[in-house]
Amino acid sequence: MARAQKPKQSRRPQAKSLKQNNLRGFAKRQSLKSQRSSKYSESSDVYEYQPENVRRSKVKLQLEKDELDGARRDISGSEDEDDGPKRNGLRPRLVGENDDEGGLGSDEDEEIDSDEAFDESDEERFAGFNFSTKTKSVAKRKPQKRSLQSQNASASEGEDSAADDEEEGDPEDFIDVLDMIDGKGPAESADEGEHTQKEERPSASKARVEGDDVPHLEDEDEDMHDEEDEGISSDESEEDESHISPMDDAISASGDEDDDVGTSLHDLQSFITNLDAGQKRKAPDDEAAPTTETGEARRQKRRMLKERTEAGEENEFAPHRGATKLNLDDLLNPLASSSSNLLSLKKSAKILTSISAKNQTLSAPLPQRTQERLDREAAYQQTKEEVDKWSATMKKIKEAEHLSFPLQAQPAGRTSNLELAAKFKPTTELESAVDRLLKSAKMREEDIAQTESLKMNHLSVEEVSARRAELAKMRELMFRAEAKAKRVAKIKSKTYRRIKKKEKAKIAAKLGEGSDDEDMNEETRMKHEVERARERATLKHKNTGKWAKAMRARGDLDEDQRRDISEMLSRGEKLRRRIQGIGSGDESEEGEDDTEDDEEGAADRIKASAFEELAQLDKGSEGEEDSGRKGKSIFEMKFMKDAIARDQQRAKQMADDFVREMGESNHEDDEDDELTGGRIEESSGATIERVGGRVTYRPGAQQSQLRTVNSLASDTSSITLRSNDLPSDVARSVTPSATSPIPEKLGIATEAPNPWLAPRQDPAKAVPKKHEIAVSKDSASVEKSKNKLRKKAQKHEEEQSKARNDAAVDISMSNVMTLGDNSSAGPSKPKTRSQSGNQRDDGDDDSDVHSEVEEQERLLDRKGKGKANGVKAFEQRDLVARAFAGDNVVRDFAEAKRREMQEDAPKEVDTTLPGWGSWGGTGTRKAQPKPHLIKKVAGVDPTTRADYKKAHVIISEKRDKKAAKYMVKDLPYPYTSKAQFERSMDIPIGTEWNTRVGFQRGTLPKIVTKPGTVINPLEKLL
Amino acid sequence: MVKISVLQHAPSTHLPARPGDPTPTSRNLDPLMHPFARARERTRALNAVKMERIFAKPFIAALEGHVDAVETMARKPGTLNVVASGSWDGGMIVHDISLRRHILRVDEAHKGKISGVCFADEDRLLTCGVDRNVKLWDTREVDENGAGPSDVRKPLNVFPGKSAFNSIDHHRTDPIFATASNIVQIWDETKSAPISNLSFPTSIETISAIKFNLSESSVLASIGSDRTFTLYDIRTGKAERRIVMQMRSNALSWSPTFPTTILLASEDHNLYTFDIRSLKTPSQIYKAHVAAVMSCDWSPTGHQFVSGGWDRTVRIWQEGRGTAPEVYHTKRMQRVTSTLFTSDAKYVLSGSDDGNIRIWKARAHEKLGILDSRERAAIEYRESLKQKWKTDAQVNKISRTRHIPKPVHKAGQLKRTMLEAQRVKEERRRKHTRAGESKPTAEKRKVVIAEQS
Repeated sequence: MARAQKPKQSRRPQAKSLKQNNLRGFAKRQSLKSQRSSKYSESSDVYEYQPENVRRSKVKLQLEKDELDGARRDISGSEDEDDGPKRNGLRPRLVGENDDEGGLGSDEDEEIDSDEAFDESDEERFAGFNFSTKTKSVAKRKPQKRSLQSQNASASEGEDSAADDEEEGDPEDFIDVLDMIDGKGPAESADEGEHTQKEERPSASKARVEGDDVPHLEDEDEDMHDEEDEGISSDESEEDESHISPMDDAISASGDEDDDVGTSLHDLQSFITNLDAGQKRKAPDDEAAPTTETGEARRQKRRMLKERTEAGEENEFAPHRGATKLNLDDLLNPLASSSSNLLSLKKSAKILTSISAKNQTLSAPLPQRTQERLDREAAYQQTKEEVDKWSATMKKIKEAEHLSFPLQAQPAGRTSNLELAAKFKPTTELESAVDRLLKSAKMREEDIAQTESLKMNHLSVEEVSARRAELAKMRELMFRAEAKAKRVAKIKSKTYRRIKKKEKAKIAAKLGEGSDDEDMNEETRMKHEVERARERATLKHKNTGKWAKAMRARGDLDEDQRRDISEMLSRGEKLRRRIQGIGSGDESEEGEDDTEDDEEGAADRIKASAFEELAQLDKGSEGEEDSGRKGKSIFEMKFMKDAIARDQQRAKQMADDFVREMGESNHEDDEDDELTGGRIEESSGATIERVGGRVTYRPGAQQSQLRTVNSLASDTSSITLRSNDLPSDVARSVTPSATSPIPEKLGIATEAPNPWLAPRQDPAKAVPKKHEIAVSKDSASVEKSKNKLRKKAQKHEEEQSKARNDAAVDISMSNVMTLGDNSSAGPSKPKTRSQSGNQRDDGDDDSDVHSEVEEQERLLDRKGKGKANGVKAFEQRDLVARAFAGDNVVRDFAEAKRREMQEDAPKEVDTTLPGWGSWGGTGTRKAQPKPHLIKKVAGVDPTTRADYKKAHVIISEKRDKKAAKYMVKDLPYPYTSKAQFERSMDIPIGTEWNTRVGFQRGTLPKIVTKPGTVINPLEKLL
Repeated sequence: MVKISVLQHAPSTHLPARPGDPTPTSRNLDPLMHPFARARERTRALNAVKMERIFAKPFIAALEGHVDAVETMARKPGTLNVVASGSWDGGMIVHDISLRRHILRVDEAHKGKISGVCFADEDRLLTCGVDRNVKLWDTREVDENGAGPSDVRKPLNVFPGKSAFNSIDHHRTDPIFATASNIVQIWDETKSAPISNLSFPTSIETISAIKFNLSESSVLASIGSDRTFTLYDIRTGKAERRIVMQMRSNALSWSPTFPTTILLASEDHNLYTFDIRSLKTPSQIYKAHVAAVMSCDWSPTGHQFVSGGWDRTVRIWQEGRGTAPEVYHTKRMQRVTSTLFTSDAKYVLSGSDDGNIRIWKARAHEKLGILDSRERAAIEYRESLKQKWKTDAQVNKISRTRHIPKPVHKAGQLKRTMLEAQRVKEERRRKHTRAGESKPTAEKRKVVIAEQS
C-alpha cells in the first residue's frame, strides 16, 4: 500500500484537471438535463424518485465526505459536475451498460473512498478517453480496463497521460491535499473506475444546480432523467462517505482489495446509510436551491472554473454557446446520430440500474487479466460444448463391434423399378423388337392408360363415379379384411385359438349335417378315424393326460368337469374294448381299477387283453373246428386234421403256459402292490412247467407282448429304478433280451459278493440244463398218451424254431436266477447289511452308493417274503462268496482314499538329527523338538479336497504340469467371471463347428478397411 | 464287355452348384461330436501366430531424395499416393509413393530447414521455414508457366513473417492456414499479412507445432517450448486453455474419428492422448519408446497411430492400449523425425535423420495384393483365433516377442531399471513418512503440472 501510494498522489492533481477539461461540456449538458428531469419527476412521476432515494441512501457516504471537506467539496463538486454529465452523455451510446452500473455501485464507492488519493490518475485517463472516444462504448470500456491494469503493473502510463494535463490540473492540487488530510489511502486498482464515477456524481448535482438558470428541457429523454437521479444520489453518497471515511481508513489500511473487508465494510456502511437515509434524502433538493448562488460564488473564487469551460468548448458534445446556457439542440445533436434502438436500450438499462441499485451493488470491472481469463474460460466452455456434440458419435464408434471404413461413405442408393422404367430405352435388338411389339399391340404403359381413358369416355359421369365408388369400396373392404386377418393372425392367445377352432368345427358340423350322408360317409369316417388316432396318441382317453391329472388334483369338480371326466373315461373304456376286441364286464371293472393306478393298470390291461385274445383264440379254434367240418378240402383229410389238432394242442399248451406264468406274476404283483387285479388263480412255484408229463421250456411265443411290459418299465424308470423293477420282470419275463442287460447293470452297481452276479457264471450250466430236462421221468405219470404226440410236436417245433433256442437258453437262465434270488433272500440280508455297516465304519457316508445297496436289500427282503427256496439260495450265495473270496473292493478303495488324503494333508516334519545339538550320555533327557527344525508342509486339508464327502471317487489334488500349460493364471481382462471366460473359450469358431454364416460372423474383423480407399476424417454432415 | 465297378462321387453332394457358391458341408455341427475342437483350435491359433511372425516383413521401400534429415511430411488429402516432405537442407519434395518417384522437387525451397509442410486445397502446397517465409507452391508436374518437375520452380506466393516459423497447418475447408512461430498466426491465402494473432497472454515461448482439428475445424492446438499444450479457437479468436506438462511435447496430432482426442508425442519417451474436454489428466499414456518421441500421426481410422522416436524406431500403437506396440526398425534408419499414415490406413511412412523416407506396412504380416474370398476368410479366421487365444501363454509369448536392436533393448533395460529404482525410492520415502501423509499419485495425474485458463 505504502509503495503504491506515492506515485498516485503525485498523479492525482493532473488527473483532476484533465477531467475537468474534458468533461466540462458534459457537465453543462448534464446540468440542463438534470434540471429538467428533476422538475419533470417532481411534477409527474412519483415512482421515478423511489429507486433514486434508495440508491441515494446507499451512496450517501460520498456526498457526506464532500460536505465535510467544506471548501474542497465545492470544488470537487464543480469538478464532478464536469465529469458526471459528460459521462452520462456518453452513456446512451454504450452498448454494454455494465461499466456505468459498476460505477454506480455504492458499496465499492465506499470502499474506494478511503483510497481516493490513488484514483486520480486513472480518472484522468478515463476522462481523457471519454473525451477522445466520442461514440463507441467499447472504446470507453477499454480505457477503463487499461486503467485497471495500470494499477497492477504500470505507473508509467498514468504518468504519461498525467504529464499532458499538468498545467490545467493545478487547482486540483488542493483537493488532493484535502483528501490526504482526510486520510484516504491509495486506492486499489479495482476501485479507480468507480472513484471517477463517484467524483462525477456530485457534479451531476451541481449540474442540476446550474440548470436552474437554463430553461427546462421537457423533451429530453427519460434516460437523462435517470442520469440525473444518479447524480443526486451520488451527491448524497458522498456525504455519507464523509461520515464513514475515517472508519474506512482504519479498516482498509490493511488492504482494501480483500473481499472480506469489503463485505464487512459494506455491511457497516449500509447499516449507517440506513440510519441516515431519512435525512439525506432531502439534502439534494435543499442544496439545489441555495447552492446556486453560493456555489457560483465559490466557483468564481477559483480560476479553474474558467478553464473548465474552455475545456468544454473543445468538446464536440458540449457546444459552447454561452457560459452556462445549454440548448436542447446541443444535447440532441449527438443523440440524433445514434440509433433509436440505442435509446430503447437505454430505457431498459434504466430499469436494470434501478433494480440493481436497489438490491445489490455491482462489482467493479475486473482487472484486464482477470477479465481475459474469464473470457477464455467462457470461450473454452463454448468450444467444449461445441466439441461435445460429437460425443454421441464417438460413443457409437467406440462401442461398435464392427467398423467399416470410411465411416461416412455414402451408401450406394438403390434404384427403384419406376426409376428404371422411366429411364429405360431399348438399346439391343431384342429390346427394341419387344418394344415394337408392345407398341403395335398398344400395351405400353402410356397406351394402357390411354385406352382406359378412352373407355371411360363414353360413360356418363355418374356411371364413372359410381364405378369408382364401387371400386374404392371394394378396395377398402379388401384392405380392411386383410388388416383384420393380419391382426387376428397375430393373436397368440391359446384360448382364443381354441374357441376359434371350436367355432370352425361347429360350422363344419352344421354344414356336414346339411349335406347328404352318403357323400360324406367316407370322408367323415376318415375324419373320425384320424380323430381317434389322435385321441389315442394324445392319451385323451386316459387319465394320465395333463388335463386329467389336473382334474384329479383339483378335487372338487363342478358338473361340466365331472361330465367331461366321465366322458373321457368312457371313451378310454371304449377304446380299450376296441383294442381287446370285445367289451366285457371284467374289462370294465378293470378299467375302473386302472383309473386308480395307472402303471399297474397299463400292465394289467395289456395282460388282460392278452388273456382275452387267448380266450378268443380258443373260441376261434372251436369255431374253426365247427366250420372246418363243413368244408371239403385238403384240410378235411386226416393227416391234415391231425396236424391241425397238434397245432391246436400246442397252441393251447402255449396258452396254458402263458396263463400260468401270468397268473404267477400277477400273484407277485399282488404281493407287491396289493392290487386285486389278478383273475387267474393258478399259481406255480416255478416257471419250469410240467406239461404233459414233461418239463418244457417255452421260447417266447408271447415275446412281443411281454416285451411291452418290460419296455414300459424301462421307459418310466432310470437304471436304478429298473433294478427296482427287476424281480417282477425277471419273474415274469420269458424274454432273454429283457433280462440279460439287467444283471449286468446291477453287477456294476452293487458291491462285491453280489448275488446278482451269479447268473454270469451260470449260463454254461443253465444251457445244458434245459436240454437235459427236456423229458423228465416224473412226467410219465401225468400223461403218457399225449406224450408221444407232444414229443413229435416238440421235434417239429425244434426244427422250426432252432433260432429261438438260444433265446430259450436265456429264459432258463433267468428262471434259475429267480430261483436263486428267492432262495438267497433270507441269508443274504444280514450279510449285505453287515457290509454296508462296514462301509459306514470306514467313514464313507455316500448316500448315492448306499441307496442302491439298500434298495437291493429291500428287494431281496421282498423276494424273501414271497418265496423261499432256502437251500438253493444258500448254495448260490456260497458259490458267489467263494468266487469272490478276499475281494474287498470297497474296503480297498476306501483305504486307498484314506492314504491319499493322508499324504496330501498338511503335516509337520521334525527334521531334528538325533544326537546333533543335544547332550548325550546317561541322565540326559530328551530335548523338546526345536521349532525351527519342524518343517511345516502345507498340504491340502481333507475338508477342502474336491472329493471330500464323495466316497466313490478319489480326485487328485496334485498339479498336473501338462495341463498347466493350457491354464490361464488370472482371469483375462474383459471377463468378469470364470464361467464367462470358459464359455467364451468353449465355443469354437472354425468352419468345422459352425455354419457358414456363423463362421463369417464370428471371424469378422473389428475394423475393416478396403485397400485403395481414402478414409477421410469425420465431417459434420448436414 | 467287362463291367468295371468304380467309386462314384455324385458331384452335387460335395461341390458347389455354381462357382462362387459355398461348398456344401456334410458335417455334424453337434458340439458333442467334436470333443477335440478346443485343442484343434488352440493348435491352429498357435500356428497362426507363428505364421504371423514368420511373415512379418513390414519394410517396403525407401524414398530417397533429401540430403538432410526429413523434418516434416504431409499427405495430400483425398489421395493415397501423394506425400510432400521437407528437409533440413531446405529441399522440398513431393513424392508419388506408389510409383516411388518425385512429382515435384525443389531443392532450395527455403533457406535453412523447412519446418512445416502442408497441402492447401488441391494441388497447392504450403511450406514454411526458418527463413521466416511461408511459400505457396503449385505441385502439378507441369505448372501454368510450363515449368516441369525438373525446372526451377518459383513459389506461387510468399508470405513473409517476422520470425522463424516452426510449423504450419491448413484449415480443412477454408482457405486459411495457421503458422507457429513465437505466436500463432492465422493467415488468409489471399492476404500477405496474418489476419489474426493468437497467443496465450503472459506466455513467452516458441510454439513448436500447430494443428487444426480435423472435424471441428475451427479448433486449433499447439505445443510450445514451455512444455505447454494450448488450445485455440478461431471463432472466438482466443487461446482458450493451456496445460503445462512435465516435459515438452515434440509433436501433436488430432484424431480423425474422435474429434475430442489429441495425441501428444512427448520428450519424456511417452505419448499421451488427451480429451480436450478435460485436460487435467491424459486419457491414456503410451509407454514403449526408450527415447524422446519426435513425431506422431493418427491412422485415418483413429484406432491406430504411428510414432517415430529418437530411439530410431517407428512404433505403431493401438488406440487405448498403452503398451506393446509394433516396432519397426532397420539397420540404417536413424532418428525418426517425422511419421505419417497413408490415407487408406494401410501404410506408414517414416522420415528419418538419414534423409530417407521409408514406406512400411501398417500391419507387418499383412499380405499385399488381391485376396480371394477363401484366403480372406482364412486370414480372418486366423486373426480371430489369435484374438481368442491371446490369453494362452504360448500364443501370447510368440505374438509378443520382438527382436529389437541391441541399443534399443539396452536402453529399454536401463530405463526400466531407473524407473524401478525411482519407484522403490518413492515407496521407501512413503514408508518413512507419517502414515497417510503422502499418498501415491496415479501416473496419469503426474503428467499435467498446471491447467491454465
